[in-house]
Formats: sequence, C-alpha cells, structure tokens
Amino acid sequence: MGDRLKDKVAVITGAGRGVGRGIALLLASEGAKVVVNDLGAAVTGAGASATPADEVVAEIKKMGGQAVANYDSVSTVEGGEKIIKTAIDNFNRIDILVNNAGILRDRMIFNMAPEEWDAVMKVHLYGVFNCTKPASVVMRQQRWGRIISMTSTSGVIGNSGQSNYGAAKMGIVGFTFVCARDLGKYGVTVNAIAPAAATRMTLSDEVMAARAIRAARGLEGAGPASKEPPKDAPAAARGPADPEDVAPMVAYLATEQAANINGRVFYAAGGQYSLFSNPEMVRNIFKQGRWTLDELMGIMPRTLAAGLVNPAPPAPPEPPKPA
Amino acid sequence: MGDKLKGKVAIVTGSGGGIGRGEAIAIAAEGAKVVVNDVSPAAPGATERPADKVVAEIKAKGGEAVANYDSVATPEGGENIIKTALNAFGKLDILVNNAGILRDKMVFNMTNEEWDAVIKVHLYGHFYTSRAACVLFRQQRSGRIINTSSISGLGNRGQSNYAAAKEGIVGFTRTLALEMGKYGVTVNAIRPNAGTQMTMSDDMKQAAERSGNTSLVKYYESLKPEDIAPLVIWLASDAAANVNGRNFFIQTGRIALFSEPVQEKVILKQGAFTVDEVFAAMPTTLAQGLKNPAPKEAEAPKPQ
Repeated sequence: MGDRLKDKVAVITGAGRGVGRGIALLLASEGAKVVVNDLGAAVTGAGASATPADEVVAEIKKMGGQAVANYDSVSTVEGGEKIIKTAIDNFNRIDILVNNAGILRDRMIFNMAPEEWDAVMKVHLYGVFNCTKPASVVMRQQRWGRIISMTSTSGVIGNSGQSNYGAAKMGIVGFTFVCARDLGKYGVTVNAIAPAAATRMTLSDEVMAARAIRAARGLEGAGPASKEPPKDAPAAARGPADPEDVAPMVAYLATEQAANINGRVFYAAGGQYSLFSNPEMVRNIFKQGRWTLDELMGIMPRTLAAGLVNPAPPAPPEPPKPA
Repeated sequence: MGDKLKGKVAIVTGSGGGIGRGEAIAIAAEGAKVVVNDVSPAAPGATERPADKVVAEIKAKGGEAVANYDSVATPEGGENIIKTALNAFGKLDILVNNAGILRDKMVFNMTNEEWDAVIKVHLYGHFYTSRAACVLFRQQRSGRIINTSSISGLGNRGQSNYAAAKEGIVGFTRTLALEMGKYGVTVNAIRPNAGTQMTMSDDMKQAAERSGNTSLVKYYESLKPEDIAPLVIWLASDAAANVNGRNFFIQTGRIALFSEPVQEKVILKQGAFTVDEVFAAMPTTLAQGLKNPAPKEAEAPKPQ
C-alpha cells in the first residue's frame, strides 16, 4: 500500500472490469477512498448486474482499502448526480473523478442505425458531462480537484467502423480542453488519456470478427484483425497490454505533482506512455481580404494541400461474387 | 457566374444566414444546384423564411435553388434534407454541414438542456445528414462532405458543450474519411471564424458597446461570413481529391491547415510501468515544461 492519494476520495465510472477496475484498485492501494461505479452491463450496454462493482469493492477491502459500490448509469443526468452523491454521502467529498465507462456499437456510417449512434453518445459523451457537471460544482467549492477522462485513438487518429465512438471520444477531448480552462483557476485540472489494452470491450468476439471483415476488405484503420499487436508497434509495446497498465498514469495525473498538466491528452498502453500534441496551424496562407476561388485553385496545391495523402484512396469496385 | 461546380448538387445546412448563406450563394454561383436548409422561422411581420430569402437571392442571380426547413437534430429531419435534393435535382454531390447554435455557460453552471441542445444540433446534426448522404455517395462512388468545427473546440472558456460537439465533429470527420475514401468520397472539416448572428448577435453587440469594447464589434464586423465559402468550394472540387480527413482554419484572408495529433513525447519500457517509475519519469519527460493554461488563483482573504 502506498500513500500518494491518502485521504483523497475518488470516483471511477465503469470500474467493474477492464481499465476502470485497474484504476480503482491502484487508486485504493495508494490510499484513496474509492467509489466503484459499474452498471454491470454487457459490452453492448444491455442488461445490468451488481456483481462486477461488488467484486472490485471486495478486492479493495481485502487488501485493506476503503471502497463502496454504485450501480447507476452514467448516461442519465440523475445517474451522474447519484454517482457523485455516493462519494459525498460515504466519504464527504470528491477529489478525483475518472470518467471511464464505455460501450461499443461498431458499424460503417452507411449502415449505422440512429440507436447505435445515440447509445454510444449517451454513455461516452453525455456520461462524461453527467458526472463532471456535479463533480465540478463540489471541486470548485473545495478549490481542488482532478478530472481524468478516457478518450481513444479511434477519435484522436480515427478508425473505420467507429464514427459514433470516434465522435464521442473526440467530443470528450474538446470537453476536456474547455473544462481545463473553466476550472483551472479553482485548482482543478482536467485531462484525458487514450488507453489501449486487451479488455472485454476491445477484444470481444464480435469486435474481432467485425475488424477481420474490415481488414479483409482493405479498409484503412481497421486495426489488427487478430489479438496479436500490430507488427509495426514499438518493440517495448509488443508485449500484452494489460488493462492494469493504464492506472499508474491516472494516479500520477491525480496528484498535486501534476498541477502543471491541464487540458492535455495522453496515450497509455503497456509499457508505452505518450503525450499527444494538440492541433496547431502548421501551414498558413494570408492575403488582405477574401480569397477568390481562382486564387485558391492556384495556390492550395502548392501550399496547404501539398503532399497531403488521402488515407483511403478511391478503390475500383469489388468484382461481382461468383454465382 | 463560374462553372467550377457545374452539374453538381449541393446541400448547405443552416444556410438561411451567416456563413451558411455565404456558402450556399457562392456554391450556386459556381453552377451547382443548391438545397438551402434552415429551420429558422420568418422574422416577426415577415412572410418569407430565411431559407426562402436565400433561395430568392440565388434565383435572382440566375442560379438554381430550393428551400428546406427541416431540423438537422432529428433522424427524420436529416433524411428529409437529403430527400429534398433527390426530389428537386435527382442526385446529391456535396453536403456542407453548417447548422449550429450556442448555449455558452461555465461547466459548473451548465444545465442539461443547454448541454443537450448544442450536442443535438451540431454533433447529431452532422451524423443524421451524413449518414443519409453516405448511402448515396457509396452507391455513386463519389461525393464531398465538408463539416463545420470551430477553433473554440480547442479550448474557449464557457463553451464545454460547444467544444465537445465541435471536436466530436473532428473525430467524426477522421473516421468518415477512412470509411468513405475508397468510394471516391472525401470528408473534411473547417474551423471558420466570422462575424455572424451566432458569434456576434445584436445582444452581444449591445453588451460589448455598453462595456466600451467597440473594437471587438468592429473586429467581428470586418470578418465577413461570405469570406468562408471559397475554401469550402475548393474542398468540394475535384482539385482537392488528395485532401481527406483534415481540418482547416479560415478567417477572411487567412487559411491554415491544422496538424493531426501525434505522440510528441514517448516513454517506453519492456513490460508495464510501476507506479514508482511513472512518478519518477513524468516530471522530466512527458510533463516537463507543460504550462497550466488556467493556473490556480490565490484566494482573496475574506473580510472579517
């Protein structure tokens, strides 16, 4: 047991399994009192069961830590309020909020049902707002707080078949950028982590089967079609990326030591931690007044658009299937 | 009248005013047939809705246009907007997702309704139209989508709802580019800045003038919403076939390409980091030199 988060109170959403469970266990082992939130649903969001959250609470108590379970859904305003209230009712405050709960509903844009879009938005993006809003009210009053939200390379970089997930995850980045500025003066920092790990969510049979189809059709960004890490991964990252490997980064961002880190996006997978660059204007053209279309036709190919490569260039139509 | 978009059919959402109006008029002036979508009702005392007025402007210049009043914030609305293009002009080549609203509030004061309204119009609005358009674009193996993000997405106080929506649109753009590229479709985003009813409403103008900040009003008045369209038309043209999944800043005569995020600092080890290792490494590696953009303010002592 460490003491880096002694007397702090932390809420981790979706902490019954995977990355969230690893974070809950580590924060508790560093002395934090933890609210383990998990709806206990399937990866698709269906169903609910108290078991996963209870199991993690039992694990924490067994090692001498303090924890309480909560089973509310982050996807409703009331759920978010109840999750934060669980921390206040049991431990009198909230210092650290880790927005981790998530689901997947992968589908190509032209096949995606509005329900598949909405379900992912509600859990990821609304879920982060629903918990952050009530937490920020408390953190502002107590003049200290840490908010750490999970984003994904599927949004920061892009991944075919995940327009709902990519939009939600980049939405979380935009939300992080602004909350950092809304709350920084009150001693609160707000950051995001894009984790990669082998979990029930990322490596379910359904997800792997869909990825294999996309890879077979030559779709860019389909990701590895097997559970093996990509061959071009850095040597150190080629070992299995366990969900527990993300937690030390979260613990660091949650301490006073990380007070200078606010509004940034990190990557964490196995033995690879990185800082993402924030978008910058890297090529500029200027003129006095409005550009004409003829001017742009002349200048764009040799300035802003020079050398840009279409990441998914047009392909010839697939040959008809043999009868 | 130009002919760079001759024979094309375009939709511009939220084009009854501001940037969208400028885009619709300029796209029509290059020979495209345009669906002018705007949900806004007629001004008090007027009979024509904003979308009708823009259609009339386009027709007066010899262009072709039709109005649509559906909301982008519902699945039915998105589908009806695409259907309007098919019914009026028989096809669709260019979708400009532009419709947007503002509900600024600090995050700790933001109501659920303020959050929801902004996410629905911007982010859901982009999805509902794009989804219907991509079904067509995939079949015809061509198409252009130009989405509207904002530099506010990168961090502007009081706009956590707007930034979540606008960066969400960037994530959506990246994925759609990967999914639709092979079908000859490109999907890009602009982060425009201009003086419009959204960024400098009459109320905002009066408030700025009351507080003596007339230079801000003048600045926004100098940034014409019509200045955004040339970049959009260029992205919609065949000349921009290599540009896919990117985002651009545009403000009158200034246009910039944004970098895509990269892992700019990396620490590596074989196997997992221990907590001790992370706490030792971070200050001298990933966290070194980072500056808090909103550092903690010292609290003024309370009066006795």
